[in-house]
Formats: sequence, structure tokens, C-alpha cells
Amino acid sequence: MLISRKPRRQANVLLCVLSTILIVSVIGGNVLLNCVTRYNTASSQVRSWKESLDAAEAGGDIAYAEVRKTILDPTNAFTGSGWTYSGGVYTNSGVTFGRDNLSTSSKVDLFYYDSNGNPWYRIRTKGTSPVMGLRRVTMDDRMGIGTRGDSLLRKIDFNYDHFVATYGPNGDNVGKTLLTVIQPQISRRIELIVAPITPFEAAIKDAGTFYGLGDAAQIDSYNSANGPYYFAANNPSDPHYADSRSGNVEIDSAVATIRGMLYGNLYTNGGTIVRSSQVTGTVDNNVPFTLPPFQMPTDLPIPQNSPTKANGNTTINPPAAGTPQSPNFYLFSSFNGNLTVNPYGSSMTYVAIHTTSDITGTVDVKPNVHLVIYFDGNVNVKARDLTNESGIAGNLQLYGVSPTDPSVNQTINISPPGNFAATIYAPSAAYTMNGNPDITGALVCKTFYGNGNTTWHYDRQLDHEGDAVDYRVISYVEDTR
Amino acid sequence: MKLASSQKSSGFTLSELLVTLSLSSVVLGVAIICGISLQKSFNATDNFLATHIQQVRIIDYLNRDVKRGLIVTTSVDLQSVTMTLPSYLIQTGDTEALTNPSLVNTPRTPTISYTSSGWQVNYGVSTTNVVYSINGSSIVRIENGVVTTIASSTDQLVPTTTDVDLANTEYASTSVTFMPIFNLAGNTADRTGTTLYATAYLRNKRRG
Repeated sequence: MLISRKPRRQANVLLCVLSTILIVSVIGGNVLLNCVTRYNTASSQVRSWKESLDAAEAGGDIAYAEVRKTILDPTNAFTGSGWTYSGGVYTNSGVTFGRDNLSTSSKVDLFYYDSNGNPWYRIRTKGTSPVMGLRRVTMDDRMGIGTRGDSLLRKIDFNYDHFVATYGPNGDNVGKTLLTVIQPQISRRIELIVAPITPFEAAIKDAGTFYGLGDAAQIDSYNSANGPYYFAANNPSDPHYADSRSGNVEIDSAVATIRGMLYGNLYTNGGTIVRSSQVTGTVDNNVPFTLPPFQMPTDLPIPQNSPTKANGNTTINPPAAGTPQSPNFYLFSSFNGNLTVNPYGSSMTYVAIHTTSDITGTVDVKPNVHLVIYFDGNVNVKARDLTNESGIAGNLQLYGVSPTDPSVNQTINISPPGNFAATIYAPSAAYTMNGNPDITGALVCKTFYGNGNTTWHYDRQLDHEGDAVDYRVISYVEDTR
Repeated sequence: MKLASSQKSSGFTLSELLVTLSLSSVVLGVAIICGISLQKSFNATDNFLATHIQQVRIIDYLNRDVKRGLIVTTSVDLQSVTMTLPSYLIQTGDTEALTNPSLVNTPRTPTISYTSSGWQVNYGVSTTNVVYSINGSSIVRIENGVVTTIASSTDQLVPTTTDVDLANTEYASTSVTFMPIFNLAGNTADRTGTTLYATAYLRNKRRG
């Protein structure tokens, strides 16, 4: 019997085909593996680079929150876990967060006092993100021979912290050392400058209902640095025209009845403005804001021995000129008389008064005096009772300390006759004004009612006057080393 | 019973050899074509991903500078971007460095001034000028005259940046495209399909 061997020959061809498929598959798999590995590595580095900035900015937010507390919650500022103070610098040793184990640390120092005595803070933060994958010796630059790409932008610490080794831990060329990193990582550093927000950024800022002013009323602005006020808002060729249309009104309420001529912008929170044709600037009905309660500053000096009240005729002759940071400070138990505040010689003199009572008396602020009055109670005066002889509104500033009991209603009533130049910051007070006073200054209040044909002139110098009521970040730089 | 001898049929006939050779040639040809195709595919994929990484790099460079910028302006054709940045680090030749050379490459303490547009934070008396532009097949970044090539590709990378000025702020929108080396006769869709978009806001108040 003849046994055929044909099937074995067919198997050879099949084997050949399978081998070819295998080889082709191996090549294909290798192609995919090569591409994906390089891409994954680069993607991981890009991710870490971006996340390290997120971490640094998170550290900036943490520090910024503490800076804000110096105004809004002074007793708890920089007191949380992780914060230490040494050599004028608050340091947060580090916070780790997120599934990728991002970490951040911050340093905050007070580096500047402005002309109001408000402190400015500098925040330096570092954010670090681990780089996933194997510890490598270099990056996949692929920019050509001798040309670097990613490694110029994304500085990865594969074995050592390059920043500490090259510039020192604080970046000041001090303390350079080789610092081994546990795993490959990217760190980015940013510096923020946090500036105080002063209270008088608008002519009138009102957190609640608003009614006013009279049909023939007018709100405009000027700049006291250029001389006394005169009306220029309807004359584009006037050299001070640019300063004349900043009589802004901001209302955090939909209940806003606006009357009179407004040379400036008008912002509300969902309000429907009638007579918007009488607003020369922008009308924006989607500008919500909050006014935090005002607390008595804690950094004032020890009060002078006398006077301790303003009854009858009381005169303050300060013993020194003082400074915005350290004014001549007086603590009053009552304020129902006639108070006169004189300068110290011919020097610009800084005086602060805290009255724990209502204000129902009069005040006369002589030229070269900068007076700040903090009041715990209410204000009930005539417009003529607030005499500010320099005419500069910033030289007479009234601050209403918010009642600790929210059910207590603080009030400010201004009656005719008379005019005044002053600023009032009372975020918890209901402000009522009758008559037709001529006012130079700015107002911040809880609710506003004014039914007269008032002329109101906002001084643009006020946008950087007064005690800090909050903080904002005004400068951002990244240390790209 | 006599068994047939197997030795008589151990060779191949001519026709069998021809068929085998033909089949082998076809299989080998297919293998070679597959190999070449895979190599081309590898190159194309690798190029695509490498160029994509460069897209990301261009945008990351731009965003980093926009965020810390004081002024950002783009050319009319949107192909170059000029920025003004704070001079955060003391450089050789700066006033501080002349007084104390050890301060070179250390951060400055800023100064504060009040201007007609409000408070201003200044790092040194001058600012840093940065220009992004296209130079042949490369994208270059020029900082105070020093040129750095940040991306270079045979895939015709093109960044396009617009800057938008809002009230008291500004942002820059950037898109970067490239033409993959595998494309259908320069079809526009092949380029637009690679577009990468990004928007970055100035963290500083715009000056000028």
C-alpha cells in the first residue's frame, strides 16, 4: 500500500504563512510600543509640569486666604496647623493633596506699607508634582542635534533638586546643595503680591436696597490732586474731563431706584434700572459683590490719656504728628459735643478716634489733619456738623464698626442744612439723607435712601485711601529657573 | 504483500517547485510590503506624536508667559506675539548687579507706585520683552534679543494667537496646527484635524 505524504507538504506552507504573520505582528507591535512609550513618557512629563503649577497656585490660595484673615478674622490669621513665623516670614511647611500626591509650600512676608499704613504682602509658593514612570536620565527633546526642546521648558528633577543645587532653597544663591529627590518630580514657583483693597472705590456702594437721589441730583467726580472741584463732566475739552465721569454707583441688589444724573458707571445685582439714559457710563446689572462686616482694627497704638469723650467743647492737640500706621489714638466713651482736631505744628497730623457710643455731636477737622473715626453706635448729625476745613474728603473718614449682634440695626442719618466732605464706610448701616447737601466723598453702606437733589462729587484720590477692608492679588510672576 | 518503496516519490516535480516558489515569493513580497508599510506607519505616527508634543510645548511656553505678562499683542497676521514681562530676576548689567555681582540671577524685591491707572508693582526699572515668531520651519522665542528655538518640525507647525482686551484684563487664545506627513494631497482637513486650542489670561493688570 502506498502512503501519501501530501498533507505534510501543505503544513510547510501553512507554517511559512504563520511565521510571516508572526514576524509582521512583532514588527507592528514594536512600532506601537515605541510610539506609545515615547508619547506616554512625554505626556506624563507634560501632566506633571502642569500639575506642579496647579499645586503652586493652590499654595498661593492657601496663603492668600491667611492674608485675608488679617482683616476679616484677625485672631485666626496664620494660626492654622503648618504655619510658623520666623524672621518676619510666615512659612507653611507643606501640604500634600490629590491622587497624584501634589505638594505645596508657601512663604509670606510683609514687605511694604502704603500711604494709608496698610500692609502689603508677598507670597512665594512652590508646587511639586511627581513624574510617573521610570527614573530616566534625560528627556525626549527631539529638536535636532544640539537643540533642546522640552528640557528647556520643563525642568525635571530626575535624581537631584536642580533648583536647590543651582540657586539654593530660597533661590538667592545661598545654601546651594545636592538634594536627592525620592522620585522624579517637577517643581514650579510663583510669587504673588497681595495688595489691600481700600473701601472707597465708588462714589456710593450699597449692599442692599437703594433709593435715590432726587430728580435734579447729580453724581460726578474729580481728582483733588489737580485742585478743587469744579463741574467738568459735560465738557470733553476740559483738561480734567477724564476725571469727571467716575461717579460710580454699585448696588448689590435688584431693588434699585436710580434718579438724577449719574456721570459714571452703574452696577446692580439683577436690577432693572429706570432712566438709564441719565447714566453716562456703563450699566451692568450682573455685578454681585459682598461687603464683609467691618471689625475694629487691632493694630492701633495705645490710646492717649485725654480726652476720653467729646462733651461740650473738646479740642484735641496731638502730641506728635503720627503716621498712617501709628496715628495719635483716642478712645471716646461718648461723642455728643463739639470736637475740634488741630494739627501738630505745621506737620501733616494723623489722628484716630474710637468712640464706643453714638455720634450726635460736631467735628471740626483743621487743615493738615487726617482724622479717622471708628464708631460702634449710630450717627445722627446735620451735614454742617461734619466740618473738614481742607475740603479733602480723605481727611475725614468715618468707619462704622459692625454690631456683633446681627439683629442690631446700625443707622446713619444726615439731616439738613449744610454740606460736607468726608468718607463713610459702614457696611452694616442703613444710611438716610434728607435735604439737598453738596457732598464731596464716598459712601459704603448696607442700604441707601436719599430723596434730595444732592450733588455728590467722588474724589478719585479716594480709590487708594482708607483702611484695608480686604486683599486682592495684583501681581503674579513665575520663577522660571 | 509487497509495500511500495517511498524513495521513488521523495523528490519534487517541476510543477511542485514552481508552485512552491510562487507561493513563497508572494508570501515574502507581502512580508516586505508589510514591513515597509509598518516602517512608514511608524514614521508617520512617531512624527505625529512628536509634533503634537511640540504643539503642546508651544502652547505651554505661550501660556506661561501670558500668565505673567503685563502686555500681550499679536501681529496682524496672528503669526507673531509680543509680550512685556516683569523683570523678576536680576541680570548681569542691571543696576543691582553692578553694585553687588552676587545678586545676578536672584529675585528682585518689587517696588510699589501709584499711577493714574492705580497701584502698580514694578520689578526693576525696566521690563522684559519677549517675541514669539515663525522662522522657517521653526518657532522661536526671543527674550531681550536672545533667540531660543522652542519647536521645529517638518510638519509645517503654525501657531496662531489672538489677544483680546477686556475691561482691566486680557487673554490670549492660541491655536496650533500642523500638516501630518501622511496626508491626502495636502487636504486642508488633514491640517485642521490636528488643531490644538488654548486660552490663557493675564494674571496681572494690563498696562498700556
